Amino acid sequence: MTTIAEPRSRATRKTSRTNAEMIGWIFMRASGVLLVVLIFGHLITNLITNGGVHAIDFGFVAGKWAAPLWRVWDLLMLWLAMIHGTNGVRTIVNDYAEKTSTRLVLKSILVLAAVVVVVLGTLVIFTFDPCPPGAPADLLPSFCKA
Amino acid sequence: MQTHQYDVVIVGAGGAGMRAALEASTRARTAVITKLYPTRSHTGAAQGGMCAALANVEEDNWEWHTFDTVKGGDYLVDQDAAEIMAKEAIDAVLDLEKMGLPFNRTPEGKIDQRRFGGHTRNHGDAPVRRACYAADRTGHMILQTLYQNCVKQDVEFYNEFYVLDLLVDHDLAATHVPDGEEVHASGVVAYDLATGEIHVFQAKAVILATGGAGKIFKTTSNAHTLTGDGIALAYRRGIPLEDMEFFQFHPTGLAGLGILLSEAARGEGGILRNSEGERFMERYAPTIKDLAPRDIVARSMANEVREGRGAGPHKDYVLLDLTHLEPAVIDAKLPDITEFARTYLGVEPYTEPVPVYPTAHYMMGGVPTNVEGEVLRNATDVIRGLYAAGECACVSVHGSNRLGTNSLLDINVFGKRSGRAAAAYAATADFVELPDDPAGPVVAELEAIRTRPDGERVADIRAELQQTMDTNAQVFRTQESLEQALEDIKALQKRYRAVAVQDRSRSFNTDLLEAVELGFLLDVAETVVVGAINRKESRGGHFREDFPKRDDAGYMRHTLAYRRPLPTDGHRLWSNDSDGDHEGEFAHTTVFDGYRLVLGSKPVTVTRYQPMERKY
Amino acid sequence: MTATAQAPSQIGEVPTFEVRLKVRRYLPPEPAQPLPYGAPAPQAEAYWEEFTVRVHGTDRVLDALHKVKWEQDGSLTFRRSCAHGVCGSDAMRINGRNRLACKTLLKDLDPTKPITIEPIKGLSVLKDLVVDMEPFFASYREIMPFLVTSGNEPTRERLQSPEQRARYDDTTKCILCACCTSSCPVFWNDGQYFGPAAIVNAHRFIFDSRDSGAAQRLEILNDKEGVWRCRTTFNCTEACPRGIEVTKAIAEVKRAMITRAY
Repeated sequence: MTTIAEPRSRATRKTSRTNAEMIGWIFMRASGVLLVVLIFGHLITNLITNGGVHAIDFGFVAGKWAAPLWRVWDLLMLWLAMIHGTNGVRTIVNDYAEKTSTRLVLKSILVLAAVVVVVLGTLVIFTFDPCPPGAPADLLPSFCKA
Repeated sequence: MQTHQYDVVIVGAGGAGMRAALEASTRARTAVITKLYPTRSHTGAAQGGMCAALANVEEDNWEWHTFDTVKGGDYLVDQDAAEIMAKEAIDAVLDLEKMGLPFNRTPEGKIDQRRFGGHTRNHGDAPVRRACYAADRTGHMILQTLYQNCVKQDVEFYNEFYVLDLLVDHDLAATHVPDGEEVHASGVVAYDLATGEIHVFQAKAVILATGGAGKIFKTTSNAHTLTGDGIALAYRRGIPLEDMEFFQFHPTGLAGLGILLSEAARGEGGILRNSEGERFMERYAPTIKDLAPRDIVARSMANEVREGRGAGPHKDYVLLDLTHLEPAVIDAKLPDITEFARTYLGVEPYTEPVPVYPTAHYMMGGVPTNVEGEVLRNATDVIRGLYAAGECACVSVHGSNRLGTNSLLDINVFGKRSGRAAAAYAATADFVELPDDPAGPVVAELEAIRTRPDGERVADIRAELQQTMDTNAQVFRTQESLEQALEDIKALQKRYRAVAVQDRSRSFNTDLLEAVELGFLLDVAETVVVGAINRKESRGGHFREDFPKRDDAGYMRHTLAYRRPLPTDGHRLWSNDSDGDHEGEFAHTTVFDGYRLVLGSKPVTVTRYQPMERKY
Repeated sequence: MTATAQAPSQIGEVPTFEVRLKVRRYLPPEPAQPLPYGAPAPQAEAYWEEFTVRVHGTDRVLDALHKVKWEQDGSLTFRRSCAHGVCGSDAMRINGRNRLACKTLLKDLDPTKPITIEPIKGLSVLKDLVVDMEPFFASYREIMPFLVTSGNEPTRERLQSPEQRARYDDTTKCILCACCTSSCPVFWNDGQYFGPAAIVNAHRFIFDSRDSGAAQRLEILNDKEGVWRCRTTFNCTEACPRGIEVTKAIAEVKRAMITRAY
């Protein structure tokens, strides 16, 4: 007598039992709304007010970052945009990559790229000094007092 | 070939099968074998409701319900069974509600009820609100709820397995078995559609719940898969079939298509009109008009058409008028059927009447059982370990004409009872030894069809069968038309022996299975027509134009149709002769190729209600 | 066999016309030994085959398929039962859209081009238009599709107001035909996603006032293969032959999860 498989074999689906996906989902919506404000605020100050697009130069940026508000603004923009975008690409990879290995490789590259950008960007925002002491004078902008 | 052992094997996963499974699976090791996925069963097509004297909206009691059932069945109902059904209806509905069925509700939050054909207050005074419903998809909700509870109880299903043979220790169709000798069921043989493999299920108890056989007719509300499998299997083993001549034609099928529009349409106030716009049911049933039982309404409609008052270019249908109802009411209570009218006929029921004509709907007869669901092998003796429930069974609570909603009741009440009885029997009984080569005949038949190089086409024979049944054995029948049908069936049976299929593969060979199902249809049709020829009276769903009156003296008894071997010793062909069975007083024998069909009878159980003239 | 095969011309004159069907065929190779159900079949090539049949104006795609099966090629294989859109057997991809063959009238399709008929996507094809439904039902069974109650059973029915009943009415209509799940691009890819049908059936109980298993169901669907994989493409809503607002139901389940968590 041979046997057949149980007539109600269960699908083997791994369960996570965390709120991670929900938090991700909420984050995408919240960060999306916030980014709209941040990005438009950024575009308006940079391109329209304060002399418009022609006024942008190193001095303009340095001037903005002299105020803590704009540092926080840009930092938020950097982090939110990077996490938002990375998570978005992650879901696309999940939806379209067919093999687990492909998925793993793509997501590793994605995370690596995101981390590099976020770390570099953060470093710049926090350590930015328009007139670093000890730099050769000919590299410094004109407003730096020697 | 594979062999399985279960205490209880249930054949069919419609309402009756799953209701039985819910009972049996908690008490015994149970398997449900179904040729479809359970949620595909035709219980899901039932629309209107399920009657129970809950008295949630107006005064009612189960005794009135019993009376309506008996009167609706034109007194051919076994009244003890009808009493049980009406009494247990209340619990059946409450059970379903507790299982989660989303009934429509009254403002107080109780189960809402509505009117339905033939259901009256105080023995016929006026229509009563008795049908519990979930919009116009009550059957769908019952099927879903039962399946959901099977999932909850982890019932074992064998999906897409066709049961092709019923195993018993005495083949009554082949040998003579004296009265009083015990006959036992020992299992079933099934065919796995996906692989073409044969599975033998050995079981202490087998419950047949295979549904009806509407596909013997061309115009029918039944699914393509309703081919009378369980009924034919029992019949082939010599188990009698009861009251097969009674077939219900539902009045409101979409004209030309047969798709069902629930009686609830009339329960909610819909009116049938002829081409002159006349509400013709006022003439045929002055008291309850459009809510008369189905046989009466169907006959009245057919009569209107015959007398030239049909609507449409060919004057061949009547109209179901819903236009006076509020669109909001229609949307809330009849959403699905109005969508059928829109999808299939392009008719907008808000503003236009819907073309309707009777459609073959329900088989009142079937495998005879007692109130515990045990299958009878003659008028008195049971077959041990064999049960039947639902449309394939004949308890008989429907008599010669089933009332609307009583089929959903039947499957729940007697599904539950047979599930319990089968499990109780299995708890004490032992397995009965299987025959030597249990699957031999099935394998031989399948292989013969599958490998036959050329022959008759399944579709041709089936179409001719359906045509002759529609023409000769439908709402109006005569001796002449029925004899024509019998002759046609015999000719088709001969051709069926040479049936061939094009698909020769093993996996999902539906071509092959359609050929097998055609064999079942032919067997069922033969019992319908022979029973109808013998019953020279008009009662319920069986109307003989040559005998338009009910004849209680001659025919107030159930028909039992037995398949018996041809006598080998030059005996008379007639009757129950040497059989010694209680094959009864009809003693009508028809000879077929290789066997004979003997008609016996069984008395009708009468408790409270003596037969009266049936007027509405 | 269908009532419509030779439908008498009852609704005015029913015109007849010819249609071409382009059907995706696949015949699994015959193994020497029958394979257990669901075992991976040896590969064979799927191909397109064209049939021409004469049909009536009231005929549906299912009638045309039956005509092919009964008159031309008996080996054409598909599932069907009730033939009027309540059993859910004959979901297939017709002209690129998931529909029930028995609810799609031929006259509503463009008769100048062949009608393409393929099996639904995302479930393995077993033969011609027949797919393996087991993963689909497995997802359904996993979301606890049954009433969970606590406390003593009342002697009569549990009470529920018409408003409470209306709350989940839409999702009680589901016939488990898989049109929605197999129209979902997320499901097509790896089939791990629970899929719209399972979520619809969870919705039917989560929003039933008599049920007390909502927390468990939400927990199951909060999984990484649960509702959060929905990309609101609305394919499911468009595909549903019962007119269920599937995407809306999924959104309501998401909302219930968030309100539960915070």
